[in-house]
Amino acid sequence: MSETAAKEAVQPPTESKDAKPAEGEAPKSAEGETAKKISPAELKKQKAAEKQARRAQQKTTSGPAATPQGPQSKEGAKQQQKGSKQAPKDDKSRPIPTRTKPSQTNIAPPPPQQQSKREAKQDPKQLGLFFGHLYSQPRKHSMVGTSKDVHPAVLALGLQYSSYTICGSTARMVAMLLAFKALIESYHTPKGTSLSRHLIQLLGPQIEYLRDCRPYSISMGNAIRWLKDIIVKTDPSTPEYEAKRDLLEEIDMFIRERVTAADKLIRDVAVTKILPGDVILTYASSSIVEQTLLQAHASGIPFSVIVVDSKPLFEGKTLARKLANAGLKVRYFLITGASHAIKDASKVFLGAHAMMSNGRLYSRVGTALVSMLANAQSLPVIVLCESVKFTEKVALDSIVGNEVAPPEELLSESERYALLHLKPHLPKSHPVTTEETPAEGAKSAPSDVLKWIEASKNLHHLQVLYDVTPAEYIDMVITEYGSLPPSSVPVVHRLSTNI
Amino acid sequence: MSTTTSMAEKPLPSFDIVATYRRILAQDDELTMPVAAIEALVEAIAHSTVSTVAETLALLEHHTAVLKASIANPISLSAGTDLFQRYLVTTLNRPAALNLGPSDDFRIIRNHLLSNGKLFVDRAKQSREKIASFGTSFIREGATVLTNGGSRVVGALLRRAAESSTMRFKVVYVLSSSKSSDSEGGLKTVADLRAHNVPVAVIPDSAVAYSLGKVDMVIVGAEGVVENGGIISRLGTYQMGLLAKSKGKPFYVVAESHKFVRLYPLSQFDLPIEQKILDFSIAADAKAASATAKPSEDEGVADLNNRRPGLTSDDGVDFTPPDLISGIITESGVLTPSAVSEELIKIWF
Repeated sequence: MSETAAKEAVQPPTESKDAKPAEGEAPKSAEGETAKKISPAELKKQKAAEKQARRAQQKTTSGPAATPQGPQSKEGAKQQQKGSKQAPKDDKSRPIPTRTKPSQTNIAPPPPQQQSKREAKQDPKQLGLFFGHLYSQPRKHSMVGTSKDVHPAVLALGLQYSSYTICGSTARMVAMLLAFKALIESYHTPKGTSLSRHLIQLLGPQIEYLRDCRPYSISMGNAIRWLKDIIVKTDPSTPEYEAKRDLLEEIDMFIRERVTAADKLIRDVAVTKILPGDVILTYASSSIVEQTLLQAHASGIPFSVIVVDSKPLFEGKTLARKLANAGLKVRYFLITGASHAIKDASKVFLGAHAMMSNGRLYSRVGTALVSMLANAQSLPVIVLCESVKFTEKVALDSIVGNEVAPPEELLSESERYALLHLKPHLPKSHPVTTEETPAEGAKSAPSDVLKWIEASKNLHHLQVLYDVTPAEYIDMVITEYGSLPPSSVPVVHRLSTNI
Repeated sequence: MSTTTSMAEKPLPSFDIVATYRRILAQDDELTMPVAAIEALVEAIAHSTVSTVAETLALLEHHTAVLKASIANPISLSAGTDLFQRYLVTTLNRPAALNLGPSDDFRIIRNHLLSNGKLFVDRAKQSREKIASFGTSFIREGATVLTNGGSRVVGALLRRAAESSTMRFKVVYVLSSSKSSDSEGGLKTVADLRAHNVPVAVIPDSAVAYSLGKVDMVIVGAEGVVENGGIISRLGTYQMGLLAKSKGKPFYVVAESHKFVRLYPLSQFDLPIEQKILDFSIAADAKAASATAKPSEDEGVADLNNRRPGLTSDDGVDFTPPDLISGIITESGVLTPSAVSEELIKIWF
């Protein structure tokens, strides 16, 4: 968080140098007992925990004026890092993270302060077993410590990313481009630089902030690369208002060509693949699959839909509801019932997060399972994917490249509650039972369950968001260039990037 | 598009595309359907008085639609018409490619087109010989080749192999007992091969699995090669592919690249043609009984049967998916099934 501020190139280097040592010292003075040997990742977690502790303290002492010295010194350090940020602005930044919390609780209530202190002690590498390399940064749920250069539209967007309010790779890409449009609209080139140079620099912190909120999708990466390319190619001699207007137009055109028009083409082809009497099975939720099904329904083809879904995001619920509201016959299964669901289906339609150059599909975790089941039943598996989601990268498995989401999302509030009564069964050696004997049975909140899991040495919970479906389980990829076998993905990718 | 077609309506009565197509096909039995279609279209343009690009394209579209509607199985034909249309669009939109300025008379462009169209037909005819020379290298000394139907490309390939005196091989020829033009072509090839001292065994469809143990490779022709690298071919090819795969025999397809179609069937029943192969029925008297019981429903079924002309099992086709195919031998080289889509993308984008 504050580290990101230090990393930014836009900030004067002297300031960031000042910030670094202060950053390291602050947690030690604040909580001596937790600050032992710490890695950067741990440091971050610790700081998050500390911040929460501070907030809680503020609440109890009723009033920000009465904050103890420890946090205050940290406050000072933060002010230093932010450099130009003024005191009232800093005050303002404090309530904002608390405001983002409700959106976060949709998925998972934030862990209480003591629990996250303990979390800080653990090595995240161990947590993930062989997914350890993916735990680079904990997801950011607030805009504390963000660079001052990040545009408000981007700030808001980041929070929408981290809380899954905006979810799905196309939606995320379009939202990002729209936020960048807002940035460009309000942009003024400082004296002594040119637009093409300075704007690229300005994009850096925006992208970095968005990535901290949630790792960016393949489509976002493609769009960013494209945007940077056209900015760099802007002639420095063009007047600023013209250059800005051209950029805005280009972005609009990109969205229109690569998403809106592409979606229409894909939809039109995909609808022809839905025959009367078909039972279309889909997994989770994809906007293009939804559009296709709705269009097919509107054109009067009698067919029904099976939506297979899984926790924790339950994206399929929304899809099922939308389709049912449109008058389609929908059946809803969880992934545990997928083997039954597949028996009634006649075709499988899948959305994509990305198509890899070796023809593999990178999509919501569980997709591979569904397509393998379909293949075993020799059902056609059809992927609907705009070419903007194609990438030159290859993926052999779901381990090397993936996104790890906060594991606490895995257990919903009610599930945690249901596990509460198991507390007496915890092993004697478990830290929770040994440490908290005085508070026995006093009040056990559902969030304690997470505490147990995190404290235990041999139980980890892991939530990855994506998986990779091998090309041989995919029969057809429908893109705006027509229908292709998965093996033609690199050809179309080359075609779509070279034009 | 409807406005442009109405524009093209004028020269239509003077030219019968279907008759031309049939005449061309009858004149030269070496000609395939897509090439005959292209030749007919070239002739149509030559007869017309079109003077603009839009008119030409509209005329072409109209003739293509008429031609497609006139025959029961337009898959193979549509490969040719699509290709020609694509070729026209690209050349007409880029007159510079023909070393012609935009100010040049359309007549010059048209003449260029017509001569090039003829060139295309000639080249298509030559491609069969080219395929034959590529394909013969796949037949090993002493091999037994399994093939089916009356494909002219396969015939040319086998004949070429037989003519080269250095190679000895045997052929197992699958021929259906029906008296279709397809099996006539097959019988001709069989007679030719036997005349060249190539031992040929003729078997029915039902004996494919039985003979497969003695077979080293399978070579089949195709009516159309579809986008995913699968083929559309005469009925019985799919089962040969399945059997060959299960016995680990290489399964090669020989097809000219003008047979590549922009079509992506997902299954046997996903083809854009009507086939009456699966025709469920019950004994006549039982049918009559049920007709009295549920008259309305039976009427519907009968109505449906009458309305659909459809292909029967004599002239039907099936779809062989790409995972059963080892290689596709074309005049531009030997392709893997997945390369077909790349070739098609190259043509279309």
